Amino acid sequence: MANPFFALNFRPNVALVSVVRRFVVEFFTQFLDDPDSTSRIALATHELLENGVKYASDEETNLSIEIRSDDTGRTVVIQTRNRAGTGNIAKLRELVDEMNQQDAMTFYQTLMRRSLGTPLGCSGLGIARIRTEGEMSVELNIDNDTVTIVATARA
Amino acid sequence: MTTLNFPPVQEGDLFIEATGVASSVSVRFAGTADMRAHAPLESLLPALHAEVTRFEATEVVVDFRKLEFMNSSCFKVFLTWLAKVQELDAERRYKLKFLSNGTIHWQKRSLEALRCFATDLVTVEG
Repeated sequence: MANPFFALNFRPNVALVSVVRRFVVEFFTQFLDDPDSTSRIALATHELLENGVKYASDEETNLSIEIRSDDTGRTVVIQTRNRAGTGNIAKLRELVDEMNQQDAMTFYQTLMRRSLGTPLGCSGLGIARIRTEGEMSVELNIDNDTVTIVATARA
Repeated sequence: MTTLNFPPVQEGDLFIEATGVASSVSVRFAGTADMRAHAPLESLLPALHAEVTRFEATEVVVDFRKLEFMNSSCFKVFLTWLAKVQELDAERRYKLKFLSNGTIHWQKRSLEALRCFATDLVTVEG
């Protein structure tokens, strides 16, 4: 059986993000016997798409989700791609670099404290939540003004 | 007898209802707390905190059992609420007990994170 996969290219708005999240739950419930893994995928998808709504410079975001199976088990790969401004890209890169150098929960708690003084959308809590609560690794690929975020986890 | 002054709220997909009895306040959240709910929540939770303080409650039971999803922006509003409670003088500080739904899996992790943020205030049941 082929690896479950879907891709969406759209202009997300705030209402559509929740619609897609519910679709992701329905879609992956068909393939995973693990509601917790499905929930983690849905959480990560929601947070990544909301980042797209907030930061995509041309309002277009590409989302893909795949479950890859091999002899060692299943891996979920969630990827979003959109264009973003230079300042936002720099902040995102700094956040992901800092996050990936630390223990997930320790960094999450640090960011929670730090977020209390930040305006909406600047805290980075969504990305940290993907790593900690989603139990996913988060990698960033930047090509000029195109940002690809890849979240990966065992499922 | 003091009455809690916090009418039910429906903001988009999010419903919030609070009741107060004796020294305990119960707040029920239902629906979805996503980006649409963030701005209303940012004004509602401080208003609730002020009302809970006026009510002199020693405990707030926060019922999440019908909350389908909460995004990180709304999660941050709860962090701000907890920080406000921590800033109160010790005798006015109230506890928060979160009721969770075991079938809504994100809740276990998010509420554990909230508990770790404010271990002096937060307990989680369910």
